[in-house]
Amino acid sequence: MANFRRFRPDDLNKLSKCNLDPLTETYELGFYLQYYAKWPSLFQVAEDQHGNIIGYIMGKVESSPDVYKFSEHYLPWHAHITAVTVAPEARRLGIGKLLTEQLEAAADANNAFFVDLFVRSTNYKAITFYKSMGYSIYRVVKDYYGDHSSDPTQHSEDAYDMRKPMKRDLKKEHIRENGEEFEVDPSDVW
Amino acid sequence: MSSYARYARPALKNSVDVPLQTAFSDGNWPTVIRLADKRFKTFKDPYYEAIKISAEFQLDGTAEKCAVLVAIDALLKQKSAPDLDTLELYEWAARDFLEDIDYSDTLGPLRARWVKANPKSPAAVQCLQSCLEFWDLVSAQQIAATLDKTYLNSSDRRYMFWSVTLTFLLSVSPQCSEASRKVYSLLALRQLERAAEITEKSTKVEATDRGLLTEEEIYLYFRVLLAHGTKDAYIISLYSSKLGALSQLKAGRKVLFWEALDVLETWGKWDIISDLCRGALNLGLEGATPTFYVCDLRIWKKFALAASKAANEESALSEVKAILKKFIGMKTKANEMYKKNISLASLEIAFRLPATILNPSPDHKGLTSRVVQVGLFLENYFDRLSAFDDIKDFVAQFTFEESKTFMEHVVATMLAQSADKSKHIILKVLECKFRYLLATCPQTLSHHPSVVDGQKQDKPYQCRFCANLTSLPCEHCLKQVIIEAVDTHKQIAGDPELIGVIPKLDRDPRLDLAIVIGNALLKLASLRGQVSDVAPSPLRDVNPALYLQAVLLLDTQLKETPSDTGLRLLLVKLYLLLGCASYAYQIWIPMDVKRTIQDALSPIFFDRISTISPGMFQGSRPLMEPLRTYYSNSFRDSCPLRIWDAFSSGSYSSILDLTEYDSGLRRSCTLMMTQVEERRATRCYGGKLDGGIDDSPFTEDIVDGTTLVNKTDYGSFPNLESFHGPPIQDFVRLGPELSNQRAHLAFLTEQYLDLLAFKPPKDYKPAKANEVAIKDRNYILETLSRLSNSLTEFIHQKETAALLTAPEMTYYTVISLLSAGLLTSLSTSRADPVPKTLPLLSSSIRSAFASLRTSFLTTPSALPDTYYSLTNMHAMAYVRDTALAMKHSAAFVFGFHEKELARDRSGKSSLHKEAVAEMKALDAVAAKALVEIKRHIQKLKESLGEGGWLDRMLEWTFGADEDADGDGDEVAKAVSDVVGGHAGAEEWAGKVLESWRDGVKGWGMVKME
Repeated sequence: MANFRRFRPDDLNKLSKCNLDPLTETYELGFYLQYYAKWPSLFQVAEDQHGNIIGYIMGKVESSPDVYKFSEHYLPWHAHITAVTVAPEARRLGIGKLLTEQLEAAADANNAFFVDLFVRSTNYKAITFYKSMGYSIYRVVKDYYGDHSSDPTQHSEDAYDMRKPMKRDLKKEHIRENGEEFEVDPSDVW
Repeated sequence: MSSYARYARPALKNSVDVPLQTAFSDGNWPTVIRLADKRFKTFKDPYYEAIKISAEFQLDGTAEKCAVLVAIDALLKQKSAPDLDTLELYEWAARDFLEDIDYSDTLGPLRARWVKANPKSPAAVQCLQSCLEFWDLVSAQQIAATLDKTYLNSSDRRYMFWSVTLTFLLSVSPQCSEASRKVYSLLALRQLERAAEITEKSTKVEATDRGLLTEEEIYLYFRVLLAHGTKDAYIISLYSSKLGALSQLKAGRKVLFWEALDVLETWGKWDIISDLCRGALNLGLEGATPTFYVCDLRIWKKFALAASKAANEESALSEVKAILKKFIGMKTKANEMYKKNISLASLEIAFRLPATILNPSPDHKGLTSRVVQVGLFLENYFDRLSAFDDIKDFVAQFTFEESKTFMEHVVATMLAQSADKSKHIILKVLECKFRYLLATCPQTLSHHPSVVDGQKQDKPYQCRFCANLTSLPCEHCLKQVIIEAVDTHKQIAGDPELIGVIPKLDRDPRLDLAIVIGNALLKLASLRGQVSDVAPSPLRDVNPALYLQAVLLLDTQLKETPSDTGLRLLLVKLYLLLGCASYAYQIWIPMDVKRTIQDALSPIFFDRISTISPGMFQGSRPLMEPLRTYYSNSFRDSCPLRIWDAFSSGSYSSILDLTEYDSGLRRSCTLMMTQVEERRATRCYGGKLDGGIDDSPFTEDIVDGTTLVNKTDYGSFPNLESFHGPPIQDFVRLGPELSNQRAHLAFLTEQYLDLLAFKPPKDYKPAKANEVAIKDRNYILETLSRLSNSLTEFIHQKETAALLTAPEMTYYTVISLLSAGLLTSLSTSRADPVPKTLPLLSSSIRSAFASLRTSFLTTPSALPDTYYSLTNMHAMAYVRDTALAMKHSAAFVFGFHEKELARDRSGKSSLHKEAVAEMKALDAVAAKALVEIKRHIQKLKESLGEGGWLDRMLEWTFGADEDADGDGDEVAKAVSDVVGGHAGAEEWAGKVLESWRDGVKGWGMVKME
């Protein structure tokens, strides 16, 4: 039922199966096109037999601006997963995993040290999923989200910055085992 | 200058003194003008004059504003390279005029000239960027070519590929003159062919070589080759061991492979498709790629399709089967998705096999390998949300014998063997879906003689499942589907264990059952889609009770499963058909259709909304503002969004795709719909329009030859239909979907109405009134002639009638005739006899309008009066719009006539009296119709204000379906059971009624003049 391929702008006309799901955010056109313009190989989709998009992943490769080179929070050349989503009808088929693997392959092709992503600290399902794929918590970004997904009385929620080392990180220098113990402010992350 | 902040005030040259710098950065323009003038006189440096001119531009005077344009023109006439800082100043100063002046004739060539003189300056790239932002491809190509020449064999490969990409873009752009097109095409092609040759011949391409090195460079080569090369050259390159599709695939890049398969399919090159698919799959088997990386369903489909077109079909299919078998052998290691793709590939092949080798079992004629394969697939995937959608196209291909075996043996056996309650229910749901699907497949019916024993038969078929005489689909089978689905629904509702299991399932099975029941009810109600030239109202021939039952049942389900978007979309359409726009909007809003997805999804709610319920536009926030904002943001620049990002990143295929996408979005039918719907609603309430439709920046490039594109996304609709009939969206829509023809007709009509409505400002008193009057007259005649020709052209296109509702067809026909009538009236001299066409046009208008009025006012005997009227607002809207167009056309003629009489007392230039008389006749007919509509709305309002409506609604819903065989009651009772009886339906009836009242209230405020 699915094909995996690189995103094409025309796919934006076939997003309803993913983006009408309340858990998937719809961005401005320029946001999607920026990713396609700058990092086309890191924008992958899964489509069904009718051409509907049933999953996609958007990512980028970058490093922190040079001005932060000597900051402890400086990020070397790495890939970042900005968004990943799978339509409700296509879940439980490993599509999220396949899309993530494809982004990781692109990250390796771009010579990235690691792939990172942010996830809500209460999104246990996603955290388990990423852990199963070799990601680990690198640090906790305090109050990263301006709302709370499960507790309406809270006005913010922490994010986990999770990472997976890529081939270039031979000595696994960009991950750590006790990442939950490292807390940073949102202003420390880029 | 940053890419997206080009209007930031430029920094002045460092050599400029501090007082002038300060005044400039403070925006103290009088001081800037004074100081710059003084410096210019002292130093004779033209830069100071440029500062002065740019500062003067910031003041309000028209002459000062023109000074910048004059200065730019002067620079163009000079042969020397301009000063870049001066250009920056002028570009900034003239920022508000840049949309109106042609950049490619002014600043673009100046920037190109500057780059030619300063090719090594870092600012050269800035000039390229500026030209791209204004989408001046001619200047951009020249700059890129200069840069390429300057940095020949540099390690920054982008210069070469910017030049090639821009040469190619120019070659396919309307900006390119026909004379140069060939040259640019060949230039782009030859440069890339040379690059490909270097790569082919090199053992290793270095960054400084002019060969193809990166993935993006290779894609660019194939795109250009496809556009400007020969088929043979493209195919030969596809097989290149370094650049070809399979070598790219081996490197983990699928783009070229997929593009090539699509291209080859359009060329009918099935042998090459077969070859590439075989090669790709072998890469997986040999370990050259991850094994299942190549196992996309699409590759299997293409491989099987190509085999079915081979000379020796059986042998080719055997080869596909053999390769598939190898993958099946390794399937256990595959990801779930690929396992499923392989299972679907087995089905694909089974259904491609010739009918002669279906191998039916001797005991069961219907137990073919196709049935077995579908059964095997179901065993593995029946509990997946997409199970039905995955195989419905296969099931719809079954012969009747296969269908019967499938339902009575395969599905029945699975049901009998399923001990687990929740799995049993999921299978029951699937069974209901298959029953519905098969009821809509023609192979389950046989022809029945149209005359039996001398009696004409009204049912042309006999159902092969139930043996009843029927039309398509079989009513009896549909009723059985409803009864069975309702039973299953009740079974779930009555079993706490099952209710407890539901949250663990992918989807509440009651939702699927409701959709099956709803669809079956709609089919029984005869909702078959709009036949535009027959039924002016979409519900005219639809059984109201069954239709309302379907809506009620689906609405009840929505309360249980509010997050299901498929159900929401279906209900939105059903309520719009019912005339309940405000309630449809309540259902639409939670889906949060915003930002990027609006272009593809908004037509589902907004198309024709002003004709159903103009009152929707009377809210505190303009109804379509989010859409307008979306387009404004997307078209802020003349260039495609994010194009410079793609250039600077070396994403050449992205550049081409972004350009194509941008072109499509600017030609979007949804964009035209947005403007037209808003304008219609604004006129309904006598609101002021912001200029003519062709003054809008969104329409400035649209001409008759522009193909407007419809990209509506119906992918989320719950579509149970077989491929033998139209998909669900086609019969729950008010009329045909958005189309190029409808969008053009609406655009032209708006222009016509703009012409009629135009009034010069009150303080406009031209000095040479006579001269202006003659020019005005010529302009009006030219505009009418253009509009009349264009409208006639679109109306008479063969496919147009099928793309419009009947009222739309009448409306646009009348507008077309009116424009021709006005042209004749205004251009016929009083001294000449009136052309014979004028009375003909007038009578055609009257006759078309009379037919629209009659069909609108005549209620079909089977429908309650009020119900028909409430569901027929679209037709009423067009009776009103047509009448008003006639009235305003007549008023325009009268006004013109009066004005000419006042201007020229001799009466020579006033209109022919017969022309005026014809217009008077039209005016009278229109006035009468408008009174009728007013009365009609008043009557509806009074009717909806009466008491007893809830009872009436429930009676319409459950009361009156007395079929000869009495089955109607059985269906109504079944539906009633699911929705909680009459008590459960009352709340719903109240909402429908309230929405009707909202709609009629909105219509009550609509102006009829």
